[in-house]
Amino acid sequence: MAQAFPYTYYSCDCYDSNTNITSAKRASQQAPIADDEDERTFDPRSPRSNYSLYPLEHLLYCEDCQQIRCHRCVIEETLAWFCPACLFEVPSSLIKADGNRCIRNCFNCPVCMSTMMVNSLDDPTNPSSSGGPYILSCPYCHWSTHEIGIEFEKHTGISQQLSRVANGGRQIPTQKERDKERERLKDAEGRKKDDRDILSGSDDSPTRDRVREDIPPSQEDSFSNLSAFYKTQINAQSPASFSSHDVSFSSPASYARIMNLYSTSSTKKQKREKPVPMREASGVFEGLTIFDPATDAATIERIKKEGWSTTLAPAQKLAQINPNIRFESELRPIPSILCTKRGKRCRSCRHILAKPEAKITSTRYKIKLLALNHIPRLSLRALSTPTSQISASGPSASAPAFDYNALRPGIPTHFLLHLSNPLFDPVRVTLATSSTTPGKVQSRVTILCPQFEVGANTDVWDDALQSSLSPVKRTPALNADGQIEAGKIWDRGRNWTSVVIEVVPGFLKPVTTGFSLGGDDGKKKEDEELDEDEDLLEIPIFVRLEFEADMVEQERGIGDPKRSVEGQREKREEAFWAVVGVGRVAPT
Amino acid sequence: MSRPAARKAAPKGEYIETDSGNKVSRRSAITGTANITLGGRTVIMSDVHLRGDLHATRPSPSTGGSSSKPPAQTAISIGRCTVVSTGSVLKPPSRISRGIVQYYPLKIGDNVYIGPNCCISAIAISNHVHIAANVTIGAFAIIKEGVKILDGCVVPPNMVVPSGSVVGGRPARIVGEVGEGWGVSGGGGGVVGGAEGVEKWVEGGDLRELVRSIK
Ligand SMILES: [Zn+2]
Ligand SMILES: [Zn+2]
Ligand SMILES: [Zn+2]
Ligand SMILES: [Zn+2]
Repeated sequence: MAQAFPYTYYSCDCYDSNTNITSAKRASQQAPIADDEDERTFDPRSPRSNYSLYPLEHLLYCEDCQQIRCHRCVIEETLAWFCPACLFEVPSSLIKADGNRCIRNCFNCPVCMSTMMVNSLDDPTNPSSSGGPYILSCPYCHWSTHEIGIEFEKHTGISQQLSRVANGGRQIPTQKERDKERERLKDAEGRKKDDRDILSGSDDSPTRDRVREDIPPSQEDSFSNLSAFYKTQINAQSPASFSSHDVSFSSPASYARIMNLYSTSSTKKQKREKPVPMREASGVFEGLTIFDPATDAATIERIKKEGWSTTLAPAQKLAQINPNIRFESELRPIPSILCTKRGKRCRSCRHILAKPEAKITSTRYKIKLLALNHIPRLSLRALSTPTSQISASGPSASAPAFDYNALRPGIPTHFLLHLSNPLFDPVRVTLATSSTTPGKVQSRVTILCPQFEVGANTDVWDDALQSSLSPVKRTPALNADGQIEAGKIWDRGRNWTSVVIEVVPGFLKPVTTGFSLGGDDGKKKEDEELDEDEDLLEIPIFVRLEFEADMVEQERGIGDPKRSVEGQREKREEAFWAVVGVGRVAPT
Repeated sequence: MSRPAARKAAPKGEYIETDSGNKVSRRSAITGTANITLGGRTVIMSDVHLRGDLHATRPSPSTGGSSSKPPAQTAISIGRCTVVSTGSVLKPPSRISRGIVQYYPLKIGDNVYIGPNCCISAIAISNHVHIAANVTIGAFAIIKEGVKILDGCVVPPNMVVPSGSVVGGRPARIVGEVGEGWGVSGGGGGVVGGAEGVEKWVEGGDLRELVRSIK
């Protein structure tokens, strides 16, 4: 998701610390972190960083592990399934039976994927009694089932109606009809085959040809044939009393089977003495579809005649239930894929981190442990020139908006980094960044005040009272010359502090051309050429927090309540990488 | 966190403030005022067009004909602390039934942010919805609570967007979910008293601070 500048992403280090379980202890004991981990600067351009950077609102926090938790270090558990179009909850038993698709009237357009509507084709001048016929139509691209020759009698139960009709309006036989038909054809073929065997003995099959002259078996036909074939095979294999439908644990057959699995090897051997190899499907009625080059030839002919425009885009093809189709005329409306509501647990300690209310329409949570309540929010904004800052009393009086999409290379620009503390204890912050940003466009970065304190997140009213008592608390870190003084914070409030960062955006084209170490010309060119997003100025910042917290928070619920009453305080430390997206460097 | 576009230097008295704290730009175009309700502390920025004139025209059984002055019917209702940014158009959805164009009331909840240059014809937008710039929402679409609609998205008519989802693209598709912390202002008790220029509001959260800052 593209975000507007400036933005801040927070890194969850779970991808390179596979010591999740021990890390809980590490934070409190302040054990020394491995050297190489300490030395290494975080590179937001590294491909792996894609998977560890998150906006703050996507991160959770495990209070027991005292660590940030991202999508990858939580376990999700599905609480409910629902259809995004009709917002009906689907019970989990139905999910198993019908799959993760809505079986109501919800369909997506096979062409553009937007939600389809049921529309009436009723002629207003001559209305029919039922108001029909009806079609499914797309309100966005205006594709409708009319184009594949499907109309519905009723405006409800579209799924059932659609499952019975093939494109062009041909009826699709039901499962029962299919079974019956298969038996009939099989018998017929068997009889013919017998006759032929007697007559000639050859296996040439005019009967198969006869079948093929019909429409080739559809995907569903083949599937039902194959599944029926396997069912009969399994039935023939397993003891007579055991049927594949009979899978309840209470039935004697499955009980015997399970006992068999866990019994001693001797009984197993006895069973294995008469292995009958399972036969594979060998005909159309058993679900075997033999590739026929004629169908390919026909397809090519059709593309020749009708052109590419009638064929499907890969995305359209993949969204179809039957992935083997090629033409627009074969499209079927796509039943809506269900969405889920999920709870989240910490992967290392299994504590619940987030649990939404079960109601589909509710956005509330029963439990929600957010990172933004535990780690400071960092935000960056451009600092207008120091001179204009004096008149910065009203937010509306700000100078022409700073263009974050065109940072001027080579010109020192000042930004304010604002940290607000969500904790109820004051925090000592240490910021660190490498002097130049990683990547080909090297920008120089200086945090003018890397060490400072951020006040506790006390009552909101304290701030109001404080500011009314001492309105001139703000002493911008400007020295006599109007220069920003290093080592001084810019401004502070109740639970926030802001410091100045000086950034000198790098040049998109290296000033010293031909200085690269590349051997041959081709390689040099490649080096100089900028990749996509190379003009993006992102500053990795290492944030380390030190604070004293009540023991209560950690021992909450588990420990002896008396201990927490004592009000013991412990020193705690927290550290993480954050990446601040400043903007894009303008070409010179 | 996008900044509303119309915060540039405006002449004094850009907004007319009503008793309930609604701020309506003098440069907005509002037609059919009688059919529009604003919940209070709601901002209508410049060049916004509210089509209150497109209200339901069903002849009510009590009055004889609709040709005479029809009773005031709500065409657009907007909740509290909602911001409609510059250049957006709010047009009640319509459909043709029995040959007559019928308009249906457009309802928008509380703390909804509508970015600049949007065209909204939804039937209902719930609370805490964030709509980025240049979004088109088709007729009768339903946007549930806590939804984020990305820049330039076209929500097709009749689409239902379930709560907590992020939609984008043309036509709109559900491309993700907002994070658990979306709409929760940071710093536990909110970032009240932040430095100048630091946003005191977050997407999908309480927009009171944003409304307050618009002058
Ligand atoms: Zn993680
Ligand atoms: Zn549905
Ligand atoms: Zn479509
Ligand atoms: Zn944990």
